[in-house]
Amino acid sequence: MLVRLQAEQERLLAALAEVADEDALYQLQVAYLGKKGSITALSKELGRVSPDERKRLGAELNRAKAAITEALEGRREALLAEARARDLARVEDLTMPPRRPPFGTLHPLTIARRALIQTFRRMGFDVAEGPHVEHANYNFDALNFQPDHPARDMQDTFGVRDRRGAGDLVLRTHTSPVQIRAMLQRTPPVRIIAPGTVFRCDDDATHSPMFHQIEGLYVDRGVTMADLKATMIQFTAAFFGRALDIRLRPSYFPFVEPGAELDMQCPFCGRARGQTCSVCKGAGWIELGGSGMVHPAVFEAVGVDPEVYTGWAFGFGIDRMAMLMYQIPDLRQMFDGDIRFLQSFPG
Amino acid sequence: MRISWQWLTSLLDLPEAARPSAEGLAAILTSVGLEVDGIERVGEGVQAIIVGEIRGKEPHPRADRLTVVALFDGAETLQVVCGAQNLPPVGGKVAFAPVGARLPNGMEIGAREVRGVASNGMICSETELDIGTDDDGILILPESWPAGARLCDQVPGIVDAILEIGVTPNRPDALGHVGVARDVAVKLQCGLRLPELRAPEVPTEPSLVTIDAPARCGRYLGFVVDGVEVGPSPLWMRVRLHRLGLRAINNCVDITNFVLFEQGQPLHAFDRRRLAEGRVVVRMAGASEPFDALDGSKHELSADDLVIADASIPQALAGVMGGARSMVEAGTSELLLEVAWFQPSGIRASARRHALSSDSSYRFERGVDHGEGLDRAALRALQLLGELAGGTCRAKAEGRGEVPARPRIVLRLARVHHLLGMPVGPAEALRILQGLGVEVEHAEPVTPWTCVAPSHRPDLQREVDLIEELMRFHGLDDLPAEATVPSAPADERPDPRADLRDRLTDALREVGLHELVAYAFTHPDKLRPFLGPGGEAAIVHLQNPLRVPLSVMRTHLIPDLLDALEVNVARHSHPLRLFQVGRVYAWRSEVGEAGAIDPRRAADLEVIDALLPEEREEAAILLHGGEAEDARAAVGALVHALARLGYQPRVEPFAADARVAFLHPGVQARIGVRVDDPSAPVAWVGYAGELHPDALVGRELGGRGRAYVGVIDLGKLPPRPTPIASDRPRFPATSRDLSLEIPLGIAASAVVDALALAAAGLCADVTGDRPRLAGDGISPGIEVVEEYRGQGVAEGRRALLLRLHYRAEERTLTDAEVQELHQAIVASACGGLSRPDAEVRVR
Ligand SMILES: [Zn+2]
Repeated sequence: MLVRLQAEQERLLAALAEVADEDALYQLQVAYLGKKGSITALSKELGRVSPDERKRLGAELNRAKAAITEALEGRREALLAEARARDLARVEDLTMPPRRPPFGTLHPLTIARRALIQTFRRMGFDVAEGPHVEHANYNFDALNFQPDHPARDMQDTFGVRDRRGAGDLVLRTHTSPVQIRAMLQRTPPVRIIAPGTVFRCDDDATHSPMFHQIEGLYVDRGVTMADLKATMIQFTAAFFGRALDIRLRPSYFPFVEPGAELDMQCPFCGRARGQTCSVCKGAGWIELGGSGMVHPAVFEAVGVDPEVYTGWAFGFGIDRMAMLMYQIPDLRQMFDGDIRFLQSFPG
Repeated sequence: MRISWQWLTSLLDLPEAARPSAEGLAAILTSVGLEVDGIERVGEGVQAIIVGEIRGKEPHPRADRLTVVALFDGAETLQVVCGAQNLPPVGGKVAFAPVGARLPNGMEIGAREVRGVASNGMICSETELDIGTDDDGILILPESWPAGARLCDQVPGIVDAILEIGVTPNRPDALGHVGVARDVAVKLQCGLRLPELRAPEVPTEPSLVTIDAPARCGRYLGFVVDGVEVGPSPLWMRVRLHRLGLRAINNCVDITNFVLFEQGQPLHAFDRRRLAEGRVVVRMAGASEPFDALDGSKHELSADDLVIADASIPQALAGVMGGARSMVEAGTSELLLEVAWFQPSGIRASARRHALSSDSSYRFERGVDHGEGLDRAALRALQLLGELAGGTCRAKAEGRGEVPARPRIVLRLARVHHLLGMPVGPAEALRILQGLGVEVEHAEPVTPWTCVAPSHRPDLQREVDLIEELMRFHGLDDLPAEATVPSAPADERPDPRADLRDRLTDALREVGLHELVAYAFTHPDKLRPFLGPGGEAAIVHLQNPLRVPLSVMRTHLIPDLLDALEVNVARHSHPLRLFQVGRVYAWRSEVGEAGAIDPRRAADLEVIDALLPEEREEAAILLHGGEAEDARAAVGALVHALARLGYQPRVEPFAADARVAFLHPGVQARIGVRVDDPSAPVAWVGYAGELHPDALVGRELGGRGRAYVGVIDLGKLPPRPTPIASDRPRFPATSRDLSLEIPLGIAASAVVDALALAAAGLCADVTGDRPRLAGDGISPGIEVVEEYRGQGVAEGRRALLLRLHYRAEERTLTDAEVQELHQAIVASACGGLSRPDAEVRVR
């Protein structure tokens, strides 16, 4: 028996040297030490020998078992070390084209609109919307554009073909009808912005038949033009990160009186160091849009007493803001869907 | 409107040295709301041009059409070769560019030889000097001008700067130099220097002018001027008109144009001998009455057109254009001069109706001065006709109709402060108002004042209008920036619809799609494949599209995505993954009653909204050209996005009679969402699939035909559910695979439903901690792993591999009990799915 034990032990050591992986090692362990393993089988024979013999053989057997276990463990550790060394010897070139999930993009108009909305919401403005196909009563009349007055020609208007007497419908030429809708739905104070799509019958490099505006309206007791100026300065501070000067120039929009053009100190001067600013052409000012104090006729049209309440309104182009922010040269690029353009705004 | 700096500054009562430069003038104009869009320097180079005298003329020895001129430049006689056929006789004066001069058009004059004959300088035409459009020969100057004198000294104002100003439609008074000068004078605090005028003492002949339409013609002054000699205007006037963009015609017509640009008042001169009975009748046109305009166009008049007729036929479309028959031309000797005020909106309607627009109609439709300005314009024209055309006024008449009353306006200076947030003092206010011609009654330092607006400012109607005037001239430079505190907080909750739109947009971007924004209008043909029966009638058409490709409002977003696809295919940008969130437009089947809407009041929202088309908000996606793109990817993108918003998405086949016609009949599915547990009703919000080949007809897709699309109707999305933390089961689930062989007609969703239904039935009545499907409220615990078609599976059938997950609440399951339940569920589900013509088999 001792001889067989010896032989098994030697056979194992020889086999161990051949073992190349964990699986083979496990099978070897089972073959010797498992329930049906050869050493286990030998130990079962112990019951058949004399007690003295059993004690001596038992000790031998235990010693052999321990030696085998140790050999197995040793081999296991060696295998692990080998595997670890092999693993650490791997080389991968991570400068190969990275595998990355494709990312989508938001349209620059969406990015600009959201940034504007977020800014004005922080300043306490609600967001209001309105339909794109609008009744002339809201797009013009209620905004103090008199019927048959040339002021109606200030905005090249798309008419909508009449359908069963729907009346005088147009594609809204500005977001200002939302002023009317907001004032009909709410009682002052009203503090809203109205971002949205507008349409003008005009198409060239700087005009698109569809573009986007953001309108602001603030109506309350004691609202002044000085407040408009302050609010716009606050806006620039929140939007551009620093307060920019605001300049008002007298102008005319039928729904405000007095009316003024709104200029903003150019936030981009100095973007291209040492060169004349390409955005404002060195003027230092950017024409933002129109503004003014809500015309009393507009208040009267919506049933607000102009002796009690005053208000201001402003409006400017979201597209223009996006073009300034992203240096987009041609407005029409915004709308043709060229993926090379769309992809450039990871948002 | 073009403003001559020379002309304008000559109207200011300022010493020469104090006159503003062109740039200074531009700054002033812009500051008072007459925005200057540009300054054009004109006449540079004309300083070098001198008056030359013809001393002799010889034919060129070698060229028939050339003349060798002996030209006296005031100092010496030079030899100059000239090609003009209109050289004046000896003693005549011409504009001469000596050697070294540089013409306004950039041409350098050098000594040169013309076909062998030396030429020292050039005799110039109007065009070469850029002072006119007549290039039919050289410019001939008055013989009285001294040889050698500089042309610019003979024609003051020939070197000028032209300011292009944008005049807003409320400012008809600023459509003439005098009106603009009035603003500048108020700003500079100086007076105006206007031509001195004298009214002719002539008899009134009431029969000259008859007003039959007093509502449309407020005033009509008629003057008979005879002895007129029609001929060219003097050079200074021709230059001035040229600078303003007008073509010189003859002295009479030029005078009316000149007065229009000076006083802002349009005039018309009729050849009186061509007027039947030599008189005018201001009347409405007869329906279909013919009219030939002086520009050669022919018109059929409407009964709403106001005309200036003679005793029989219309001789002018009032305020818009004169007639061809009575226009002033060579040979005219007696004029009837018209100076009138017409009702503005009537003029506008006529000009639009006949697509005739003129400098006159432009001013009349905005409202010219019906008061003193009208009289001044008349006198100025008579003065110039006398000086420049030899005309003498013989008789006059005035017809009167209705003119607007000059409004009396109460002005409170406190209100100025209240509105602007800055004060304007009484002295300054008074100076501004009076400078503008506003009469201020009882101008005490303490307001209110009663103000009467001048007749040349129809825009001054109420107190705010006067406040605006004070603001214009006081300026906004010292406007403080002072925020008021809003008296009530705004509603801070975002609009849930806008929130949904934003989140859906973000989710679609997250699945790797690029956002498109396209025009909301499109070509009707592009919509056609997408319209169902009766869909045409719902299309919203534009009345005046820019062009046919943009003539209707879109009813679907997919055509926009296909447009973008074509653009990108043409530019070789592939593959394409796009989405768009936007509105689609369609008439409602029920249209509200327009009724009478009062233009002075905002109509009720309900009334207005019922008249408008429906604007639904949709999200649409398009996948094309990539290896990974297929219809399941399109479904996946939408399902992912919906799940991202917190919904439980649900995909099912359409019923055969409810399929989307523009999608491939075999590759489409409807998409829905649930907000609660799996048993809650599904809101069907969209669809996805492969685009039907018919929907791609006419699209240039470079041979790569298949496009995968999906649409979600945002309006159908239920409010977003609030997320709830899910259970964390304590014991692991056990899974069993199931391979079924089923007909293609049975959707995977139907198999899952049948299994879930079977499981629900089998587990419903069981008590105790029995095994059940490991659903979690979002998924039923049944996973569709893959499908297989082809070898071993009959045509028209497929194998579907599913994995069912089982779990108990408080213990680990045994194999035996899982196996028992699994088999029971499968048997029950197969029974439920099988039809006589559609066998379901376990593989
Ligand atoms: Zn700049």
